[in-house]
Amino acid sequence: MARILTSRRAALTPLLLLLPAIATMLFVVALPLVFSLWTSFTPYRLTRPDTLYDVIGLRNYIRLMSDAAFWVAFGRTVLFLAIALNVEFLLGLGIALLINRITWGQRGLRTIMMFPMMFSPILVGFQFKFIFNDNIGILNNALQSLGLTDQAIPWLVDARLAMFSIIFAEVWMSTSVFAILLLAGLFAMPRDPLEAAKVDGCNAWQVFRHIMLPFLMPFAFIAMTIRSLDVARAYDIVAVMTGGGPAGRTELLWTLIARVGYDNARMGQANAMAYVSTLLSVLFTWYFFRKLVAARRYMGGAQ
Amino acid sequence: MAGITLRNLVKAYGRVRVVHGIDLDIGNHEFVVLVGPSGCGKSTTLRMIAGLEEITSGEIRIGGRLVNDLPPRKRNIAMVFQNYALYPHMTVRDNLGFGLKIAGQPKEVVAARVQEAADILGLAQLLDRTPAELSGGQRQRVAMGRAIVRHPDAFLFDEPLSNLDAKLRGQMRAEIKKLHQKVNNTVVYVTHDQVEAMTLADRIVIMRDGHIEQTGTPMEVFNRPANIFVAGFIGSPPMNQLPCSAEAGGLRLADGTVLPVPARLAGKVRPGAALILGVRPDDISPEGSGLLATGEGAMVRLTVDIAEPLGMESLLYSRLAGQEVQSKVFGPRLVSPGEVLDCRIALDRAHLFDAATGRSLEAA
Amino acid sequence: MTRDLRRQLKAAALWLTAFLLMVVMCVPGLWVVLSAFRPNREILAKPPVWLPEQLTLDNFAKIFGFGADQVAIPVAAYFWNSMVIALTSTVIALAIGTAGGYAFARFRFRFKNAVFLGLMLFRAVPGIALSLPVFILWSRLGLIDAQLGLIIVYVALNVPFTAWLIDGFFRQIPEQLSEAAQVDGCTRWQAFWRIEFPLARSGIAAAGVFAFLTSWNEFALASQLTRSTDSKTLPVGLMDFTAQFTIDWAGMCAMAVIIIVPALILTFLVQKHLISGLTFGGVKG
Repeated sequence: MARILTSRRAALTPLLLLLPAIATMLFVVALPLVFSLWTSFTPYRLTRPDTLYDVIGLRNYIRLMSDAAFWVAFGRTVLFLAIALNVEFLLGLGIALLINRITWGQRGLRTIMMFPMMFSPILVGFQFKFIFNDNIGILNNALQSLGLTDQAIPWLVDARLAMFSIIFAEVWMSTSVFAILLLAGLFAMPRDPLEAAKVDGCNAWQVFRHIMLPFLMPFAFIAMTIRSLDVARAYDIVAVMTGGGPAGRTELLWTLIARVGYDNARMGQANAMAYVSTLLSVLFTWYFFRKLVAARRYMGGAQ
Repeated sequence: MAGITLRNLVKAYGRVRVVHGIDLDIGNHEFVVLVGPSGCGKSTTLRMIAGLEEITSGEIRIGGRLVNDLPPRKRNIAMVFQNYALYPHMTVRDNLGFGLKIAGQPKEVVAARVQEAADILGLAQLLDRTPAELSGGQRQRVAMGRAIVRHPDAFLFDEPLSNLDAKLRGQMRAEIKKLHQKVNNTVVYVTHDQVEAMTLADRIVIMRDGHIEQTGTPMEVFNRPANIFVAGFIGSPPMNQLPCSAEAGGLRLADGTVLPVPARLAGKVRPGAALILGVRPDDISPEGSGLLATGEGAMVRLTVDIAEPLGMESLLYSRLAGQEVQSKVFGPRLVSPGEVLDCRIALDRAHLFDAATGRSLEAA
Repeated sequence: MTRDLRRQLKAAALWLTAFLLMVVMCVPGLWVVLSAFRPNREILAKPPVWLPEQLTLDNFAKIFGFGADQVAIPVAAYFWNSMVIALTSTVIALAIGTAGGYAFARFRFRFKNAVFLGLMLFRAVPGIALSLPVFILWSRLGLIDAQLGLIIVYVALNVPFTAWLIDGFFRQIPEQLSEAAQVDGCTRWQAFWRIEFPLARSGIAAAGVFAFLTSWNEFALASQLTRSTDSKTLPVGLMDFTAQFTIDWAGMCAMAVIIIVPALILTFLVQKHLISGLTFGGVKG
């Protein structure tokens, strides 16, 4: 009997240790999510509390389906993420390979690489709002002083340029996540397989493609997982840089949610949208986490 | 000081049993080595004695006291780990004194006992270093020092030498033996290296797949292996195993060669039985350059495929009855491949095993 | 072309790329920092003034409310709120995350991967999406525009990632150390505090810095859950500037410096541990 008790206690210990974490997440995230799921089935408006109990079924979702503004924002968000993440990965890989080859001052470069990760997104937004400002921004000032243009380029006013500026800010902020982790992967890479491949007659590209890249992938997946946790931070950047403008041309899913929920006070509708965006993020995280788990399974043999 | 008793000890992870109800009595002051290939359950058994693994069923007694449900700290044992497990953030002095400090011993006692252990192990000069500043052998010594300062009922060693290079391993082996002679504790020592087992143990316990295959003094398990597994595991290079069948005239090998039945086993061989003849390489040698050839023997002609000169002896690889056989030439003599040698098999030292069960006929 | 020359050219090209990289990385931030020490009229000057004619601390004095022409934005209160909220939520998240990370690193239990993934997925909920229901619930609980309201949310924001990092740090410490300590006479609890915790300390500190920065930098939730000087944090306060009729660029730059400087110092201190924690926990299963 005593033994059964001790073994049950042993099984209980990790649960007790995890209990605070689980409880916190349930209270602060899961409970509100259940609540927002409920409100997404109501026409809830902040100004009229009684509407919370007025169930209208899937009407919010049905309205979403036919809401052009929503779909445009949705498509723009997906496009925004696709571009930003791919550019971040490729740039990060390039930077990691570059820094890996630089021997003098490497530590300094690595430290500088870390910094954008620590910039508050709101600051990144502000920083580039300042730099891309058509009137006083350093970019236009520089271009004009160099004689490359005599006009004030409307970086944040023209729809296309504004989107570009936002993606630029996002890439500036997040490329380091990839660069730093891929660089850590390069440092951790065992030399033997690389040398074996060279002896076996692989050229530089083949070594990279068949030996280095597979080894780096788990590190890339860590970076992707980390990034997927906070892709929505782009909200902060857009909020400060353009506020979704001009005329909604840089509206992302997240800024649209804020507008519908808080500015228009249509909480039910906003919650339906929020559920779509949550699903997007969760799927994204889940996908890359699975990739990470699968990748480290075959890495296990190597380590 | 105390003996250790295991009764029907079982360890299972879920449905997988890794230790199948073993029984073992370890006497006071005895040096017992658990040896076996990896995955045989020897480390799990040791960890159960230490209290680091829960036991699934059975009993463990240390000094007569049932310790099944006691945590490690209440078992009054000390353990030396494979990677030494020195506390990296403490000096050697603090590492040695940690257990006593936890037990609430006064400072003077801790200092005195640490000094005593440091003197025994030659660590006095190193007391203020951290583990990172020590060599492998020194770390090993600190790990042992940490064990002896507490004057425990028993020492447990978990493959303590496997991280050292070959030369250092030999040195530390001798030190462990000396240490045991000096402090004379009960020791349970786990290793996969049969040389360590042979050289250190008062008694060897050979394990496989969670069972004890044989228990005995080093010479007992070497001279009278209970089964083929033990025969192949103890002794290096391993014992040659030649399948044969018993006939009226002797033992017929696969190629038709007939060898006489060793006299001491004559009464135990049933005609027609499928057997395995076990002969150590040391017991097959060219006439005149082997061990003292006084006992009974049989001659075979061997063609050398490969010869490995080791200085005072050479290890020879040749084929007998369609099977590779290792043999030895004693003396500093060069043997070349292709040489044909008439070799003598020392049958008085040969073994016979039942081919089906693997058990030695001697035991039956 | 000689082999030697080609190698030198290659090295030069590498350096040039690295240099350009540095410029792109550093110039935006440095420009903001520089502007924080310039008077607003110099920032607005046309044609642009490249080299500052005078450097001044006036912008900082103004946003903190010293001097004659102070700005109407209570940065000192925001700074205080940010500090209290970030510090408190970090300490709590560290306690919870250390317990959780230790459980992941040291125990085998059912649904371990599922629990870990679950924590991550909860963390993945976009801040703005989460803010809607939290806003409604918190307003019923009276937690809107209160430091406590944000602290609770930030703890939840930080727990999963803290647990991930700390899991990685504990796994770098051989389990045998804790076992050796237990054989030496420690309870598991003592073994943790005397052996494992001191060894993981720098890693836990790094996780703490990361958590602190997450709270310090957060905007989406803070912008909805705060209203006044009672709880507004610096990132939310930064938006106050844009609401004004004319943008006070110099003031904003000064405020940006106040936000970024603590972050950069902390990052610099713990960068090494941060990388090792992320990769170790992530790559080794």
